[in-house]
Parts: sequence; C-alpha cells; structure tokens
Amino acid sequence: MTEAKNEIKITGREVPRIGVYVCHCGINIGGVVSVPDLVEYAKTLPNVVVGREYKFFCSDNGQEIIKKDIEDGLINRVVVAACSPRMHEPTFRLVCKEAGLNQFLFEQANIREHATWVNMRDHEGAYEIAKDHIKMAVAKARKLLPLEVQKVNVEPSCLIIGAGIAGMNAALDLGAEGYQVHLVERTPTIGGHMAQLDKTFPTMDCSACILTPRMVDVAREKNIEIHSYSEVVDVSGYVGNFNVTIMHKPHYVNQETCTGCGACVDICPVTCGNEFDLGLATRKAIYIPFPQAVPGKYTIDMNKCIQCGLCARTDICEPGAINYDDKPEYVKVKVGTIIIATGWDLYDATELKQYGFGRYPNVINGLQMERLLSSTGPLEGKPARPSDLKAPHSIAFLQCVGSRNFRDGGNQYCSRVCCMYATKQARQYKEKHPEAEIYIFYMDIRAFGKGYEEFYESAAREYGITYVRGRIAEITEDENHDIIIRAEDTLLQTPIEVKVEMFVLSTGLEAKEDADKISSLLSVQRSSDGFFMEAHPKLKPVDTLTNGIFVAGVAQGPKDIPDTVSQAKGAASSAATLMAKGEVEIEPYYSVVIEHQCSGCRSCQSLCPFGAIDFDEFKNIAVVNPVLCKGCGTCVSACPSQALVQNHFANFQLNEIINWALKQ
Amino acid sequence: MSDNVEKYIKRNVNKGINSRIAQKFVDAGLEVMRSCINCGTCTGGCPSGRRTAYRTRSAIRRALTGDESVLSDIDIWLCSTCYYCYERCPRNIPVTDMIIKLRNIAVEEGYILDPHFSLANDIFYVTGHGVPANGEANKKWQDLRESYGLPPLPPTVHTHPEAVKEVQELLKSVGFTELMENAAKLKGERAKKEEKKEEVK
Ligand SMILES: Cc1cc2nc3c(=O)[nH]c(=O)nc-3n(C[C@H](O)[C@H](O)[C@H](O)COP(=O)(O)OP(=O)(O)OC[C@H]3O[C@@H](n4cnc5c(N)ncnc54)[C@H](O)[C@@H]3O)c2cc1C
Ligand code: SF4
Ligand code: SF4
Repeated sequence: MTEAKNEIKITGREVPRIGVYVCHCGINIGGVVSVPDLVEYAKTLPNVVVGREYKFFCSDNGQEIIKKDIEDGLINRVVVAACSPRMHEPTFRLVCKEAGLNQFLFEQANIREHATWVNMRDHEGAYEIAKDHIKMAVAKARKLLPLEVQKVNVEPSCLIIGAGIAGMNAALDLGAEGYQVHLVERTPTIGGHMAQLDKTFPTMDCSACILTPRMVDVAREKNIEIHSYSEVVDVSGYVGNFNVTIMHKPHYVNQETCTGCGACVDICPVTCGNEFDLGLATRKAIYIPFPQAVPGKYTIDMNKCIQCGLCARTDICEPGAINYDDKPEYVKVKVGTIIIATGWDLYDATELKQYGFGRYPNVINGLQMERLLSSTGPLEGKPARPSDLKAPHSIAFLQCVGSRNFRDGGNQYCSRVCCMYATKQARQYKEKHPEAEIYIFYMDIRAFGKGYEEFYESAAREYGITYVRGRIAEITEDENHDIIIRAEDTLLQTPIEVKVEMFVLSTGLEAKEDADKISSLLSVQRSSDGFFMEAHPKLKPVDTLTNGIFVAGVAQGPKDIPDTVSQAKGAASSAATLMAKGEVEIEPYYSVVIEHQCSGCRSCQSLCPFGAIDFDEFKNIAVVNPVLCKGCGTCVSACPSQALVQNHFANFQLNEIINWALKQ
Repeated sequence: MSDNVEKYIKRNVNKGINSRIAQKFVDAGLEVMRSCINCGTCTGGCPSGRRTAYRTRSAIRRALTGDESVLSDIDIWLCSTCYYCYERCPRNIPVTDMIIKLRNIAVEEGYILDPHFSLANDIFYVTGHGVPANGEANKKWQDLRESYGLPPLPPTVHTHPEAVKEVQELLKSVGFTELMENAAKLKGERAKKEEKKEEVK
C-alpha cells in the first residue's frame, strides 16, 4: 500500500466534481443492463464531470482508472455503481485515500444486488432501478463532507467464554503469544464435551489421552487465568476496550485450601444422578465432575446438599475448606477482544415419541453410548444395556435423530458428526463383542473429512457392520425390553422388521439453550439455526458482525474436533492481529452536538442505548463520546432543537437523496 | 440382443419434477414433494404396506419420475388414510395428501376400480348415501341406532327422499358426475383397445 503523496484539500464549500464509475461485474451487471447507457445517463446528472465503465473496477487496473482521475485533479467526489458496499466499500475508500482524497468522499451504488440480480429476467426494470440508485448515490456524493477516522487503543487481553476444546486451544495460542487471557467456564472443570468421549474418529485416539494434557497446559500457562464455575454477567464498552464482569459462583468449598483429597465424598449421604455420565451413574452432593477435572477442587451442589454438616467435620476435611455460607464473587476485567466458544447441547430425543427415548430403558442417545463405551465411564468400558446390565447381542443405531428434520421441534441442518460417531461406536462395540450384530439405519452417510470415507469403508468390510438405507419409522418394546424396529430397506423397497437388544439414537448437536443470553450480552447475532453467526460464511468465518468479537467451535455451527480446533486457532489469530496492532480504526459515524443550538434539555441522554452522551454542566449542553457512539441516530431524531447531526447521515444529505429519488 | 436391452433398461424415464404427473402435484400446491429424500419413513411405518404390496414411497417416486403405470396400479387404493406417514415425514411432506391426489389423477384419467365406480354411480348418486342405512338389508344399523335411543333413520335423504334430487343436482354442479362419466368413457375406450390387441394376436 502506498501512502497518499499529496493530500487534496476539501472544505466542502468547493463545487463538487463527481466521477461516476459503472462496473460490469463480468456479466453480473453487464449481462442484464447496458452499462454504456448507464454511464451516459450518469453524465446528464448535475455535478458529474467524469463517467466511465470497466469490466471489474475492483481489479488493480480498475482501481488505477479511478486513482488517475483523482490525481489528475478531474474529480473531488467518487461514485462507484457496482456490488454491495459490504463487499468493496473498503476497497474503493482505500483508492481515494491512496490518491489523496478523503476516503469519506466516496459513495457506492449497489446496482448488482438491488437491480440486476433481483431482476435478471426483467432487463428494462433492472435498468430503471439501476438509474435510480445512481441518481441517489450522486445526490449523496454532492453533499458529502470529509471526515477523519478515529483510532482507539486495544487492550492486549482476551475474554474467552467456554473452555471446551475450542476455548482451550484459543487460550493456549493467545497465552503463548503473550496476551492475557480470561478463560470463563460455567461448569466446575474445563474440558467441555470432549472429556465425555471415549475414542475419537477417525484415528481412534483415546479422547482423554489427548485432552487432559491440554487441560493441564491451560492450568500451567501463566498468561491464562481460569475462571471456572463462573459466568459472564455484564459486558460494556467497544472493540479494544470491553469492560467485563465475571461472576464466580460459590463452590461452598474454599478452592485455595481444598487439597482435592476426596475424604468428603465418602461421608456425604446424598446421592444423585451424575451429569457427566448423563444420569447413567451417580455422584454425591459434594463432587468433582470427573477424576481428571481441572481444577481438581471440590464443589457442593447446593440444590442437592442437605447441610448435614458431615463433610465440614474437621476429622473429615482437615484443612477446613467447607463453607456453607459461601457467596458469589464479582470480578471486573478489561479486555481488548472476546472469543465465544460456548459449544453445544445434545438434542433431546424425548420429543420424537415414535423412538421411545425416556420410555424404554434400552433406548439411549449417542452421548450415553459414549459413556457406556468409555473406560472411565460407569461400566468401565464394558458396555451393557440398562434394563439388565447384560452385554447386548444386537444393537441398532438410527442416524439423523433431530437433525435434517423439517418438522416442528426438529433441526433442519445436518449435525456433521453423528455418521462418524455412530460408525466409531459400532466399531468399538464390535471390537469388544465380535459376534454382535450391529445395524446402522441411515438416510445418507456423510463421510466428508480427512480419513472418514476410509473409516466408513472398513467399518463394513473389516468389522461387518450392516448399513441399512432407511429411516426407522417406529419402534416397540417386547416383554424382554428388546426393541422391535420397523423401517423400509429403501434399497430393497421392502418394509422390514428387526429385533435388537439395544437401540442407540444418534442425536445431533444444538445451539446452547441459553445462547440468546450471550447474544444480547455481547450484541452478536445468531443465524436461524440458533448458532452464533459469522460475519461472512466464507471470508470471515470466525469474526462476528460486532468488531472485536470472534466465535470458535460448535458455538458457530456443528463440527468435529479437527474443524473445531482449526477454527479456534483462526479466532485466536484474528484476535491477536487486532491486539498486535495495538490500535483500531473506527468509523467516524458518531453524532455531533451543534453547541449553540442545544437547549440542555437532556432528552438525548436518557435515550442513548450505549451511554455515549455526557452533559457539560458548565456550558449546559450535551456532549457525545465519539468512541462509545455507534451512530444509531436515536438522539438525532429525538432532539427537539435539532441540535444533533450524525456524521455521514446528516439530514441535509438524506434530504438530498430523497429529493432526487422522487424527481422524475 | 438389443431387444433384451430394451427389456431390462428403462431409458429416459426419470423426468423428475418435469413429468406430466409431477406437474399436476405442483399445480395442486404440493411442490414440497420435490424435497423427498426417499428415506422410507412413510413405507416403514405404513400399516397397510405391512400386509399388502403397497409401498408408499415407491408409489410417490414412480409418480414423480413419470412412471405412469402407477396410475393403473391397484396398490395405490390400499392406503387406509391413517396419516402415520403424514405425521412422521422428516421433510414435512403431506404424504397422505399426495396419495389422495395420486388417486384423483388416476380417476381423472379413467383408472377407476369397478367397485369404486359402482359405489359412486350406482349407490351414492342414486341413494344420496355412500353407505345406505335404510331398507331391510340394513336393519342392523337401524337396530343399533335405536339401541342408543336414536330414531332408526338419520335426518338425511333417508327421511327426506325428495332431497335426493338436490344431492344429484349438487353432484352435477361440482363436476362429480362429469368426472365419473369421463372416467367410464376413458376406461371403456381403453378396454376396447385391449380387446383389439387380443384379436390381432
Ligand atoms: C456422541 C458424540 C461423539 C463425538 N465423537 C467425536 C469424535 O470421535 N471425533 C470428533 O472429532 N468429534 C466428535 N464429536 C464432536 C465433538 O464433541 C465436538 O466437536 C466438540 O465437543 C466441540 O468442542 P467445543 O469446544 O466447540 O464445545 P464444547 O465441548 O461443548 O465446549 C463448550 C464449553 O463451554 C462451556 N460453556 C457453554 N456456555 C457457557 C457460558 N455461557 N459461560 C461459560 N461457559 C460456557 C461449556 O460448559 C463447555 O465446557 C462427538 C459428538 C458427540 C455428540
Ligand atoms: S417419509 Fe417423506 S421424505 Fe421420507 S420417503 Fe416418505 S415422503 Fe419421502
Ligand atoms: S396414510 Fe396411507 S400411506 Fe400413509 S401410512 Fe397410512 S396407509 Fe400408509
């Protein structure tokens, strides 16, 4: 990038000399409307002194054309009629800047999305709409004023919400680069769902063996502060300068003095279902989620605790760590960037009545199967069916449970991991019981990742797993708690009935139940599937539309561990890029108070959703903090004295557009 | 050789959603059928298909891909309209409505079963009831009604015989009569053609 050689002085009072550049965008625009005619039309508009066309103005050569006109002193305002400003506004602003023209003297007319794409078959209609857009953009350009971007400092620290494999990887990368990381995890341990898995497809590494060393690394990294058993309760500020309040939930056990010896567990009289094993095993009211938990300190579940006082006895807890009166603690931190890595919830299959989940004991979900297979699970890796704790001789898996389901209560998307995890679990069971019969009922097998197709192929060839193409319609249970399956073998075009001893539902991944809370706390959007939305599905996959906030892992959409880790590294790198620069430019679209017009009524102050308006008691006028102002315009429309002007969207600019839009 | 090929391969059959029958589904507002993934949930749970050769998914697929032999396949009349498939289709396709539409198309084109035709033409049109409850032969219905304290005959054309004319008028004005006449005509023509073929042989 070259810096501007000579800056062109613009006060706003000189006569506007506008250059209009109409882009063909290949055939996207040029194939629908006559670009030369549009150029001729633009030239008839007042103040337009240059009109040109080009195949791709965004190309190097295209940019040079505009630059040359500016440098030759022909024009002092630029209008490009092309694609969406979301695509190329930054490109053309840079062109202006490099040629010495203030970058805000540029306006883009989106004649591709608004005219030619939506009216591909109505050429005349598209042409008329394109003309209108050019007319309005020229009107705005006529009234544009130069503005200066603002720069703000970026704190070299990052808040990461969620300490699954995504959050932990991002934290490790940022910590190693020297940034301070606040890693907030709501459960008492870091690790996320991966800690519940037994082996991982397609390589069949033991999940705990690859995960727990990473957990220990996180605990050891001096730049990472783990806030376990914590929630983010408030976030204010803006890119580079977020003020975050984190609530440390009460453990009722002093985390400093607890040695993790576990003496309290044996004496605790309250037994309840263990979340980590999805209710397949029990825990006490005082617990750690699983033996390798980090931090390995105990927590009392106050919803279950009866405060009998046994664990608090000094002969039980020698350090005297138990404290039934523990209170939440609020910690305030300042961070420059935020990464959302809140992961997923499992689809609840009880809604699909025809599959009997929650009603028949031998119908379980995929994560329960994972725990049954796990050597650290309730059966120590000797899977058995719940009704009689015997190893089943036959098992059927059903794919796409809750996923790819367009009915109410279903998720329309593909969960992307279930085909592979069912194949993995089937293989694992076969390894333990080669004589067992295993069926996988599927609509399509999606084996898209590296090594996945090979993994699937050997499941059938080497392990003898039977794949049946057909979605199960319904099941019933017989007196032995065996499951009778009814389906169509679509490849044989025959209804079939199969009796199995256990039935596993390959349930999919869902957005966290409380994702809306994070979404409103951080002002980030979610897509219609409930997951957090990326700024651009291809080019900005880890950015959100809110500056300085990134997303990683399943929080953004279903994915396997390799993709989760890649994305976490991407998010860490994007956050680091911002922090390494140390400062960030923000658009100067803030509102400005015209001092002599302000009556000091303070109407605006209470309305501003971002708390950006202060009051100058001495001058008795409102004062806008340009960094906090997001340019929403609420104050401008509320001011009874018309004392507020919003940069780049001022009334005199908008009125000019409207007047020209209505002109025949 | 080439004869054998023609026997065992179907050429250019899959016209997909551009088939003539598929277009009729689209016209009836059933274009959602295009999203069928052939998962077999409908066939798998169909209580009728468990007892007969009727295959819900295959019937719809044949219709959509332009295999017109499905119109004359008597299996499509074996759906009991229990709506199991309709309740479960993961693509939210109103499967039972599709089967009913398929039957409508079949009748429009003269594929109507004799018992159905005679029910429509000889019983419904003549008596105003699909299942008449009057006369000696139907004494059991009358007894049943009386056992519940109801009059032996319902307040329909059975007690107002003069209204049969009105029912017939109605059937004419909604096009039902014409539909039946047309079906009979097409069916007759088809039968004649078949006879001729036999004679030639
Ligand atoms: C049965 C099953 C088997 C699988 N097997 C495999 C496999 O073999 N191989 C493979 O590659 N993938 C597998 N997967 C997929 C794998 O589990 C995911 O890719 C992985 O868990 C994604 O990690 P994550 O960090 O994005 O989310 P998570 O593991 O869900 O971690 C998110 C963390 O954030 C925390 N959190 C959530 N909300 C908040 C909040 N508001 N505040 C603070 N903390 C919060 C959660 O407590 C959790 O610790 C499997 C999935 C299932 C269901
Ligand atoms: S259940 Fe629906 S999607 Fe599946 S085969 Fe039947 S009609 Fe098609
Ligand atoms: S409605 Fe018809 S096709 Fe559907 S399940 Fe019932 S009998 Fe079978």
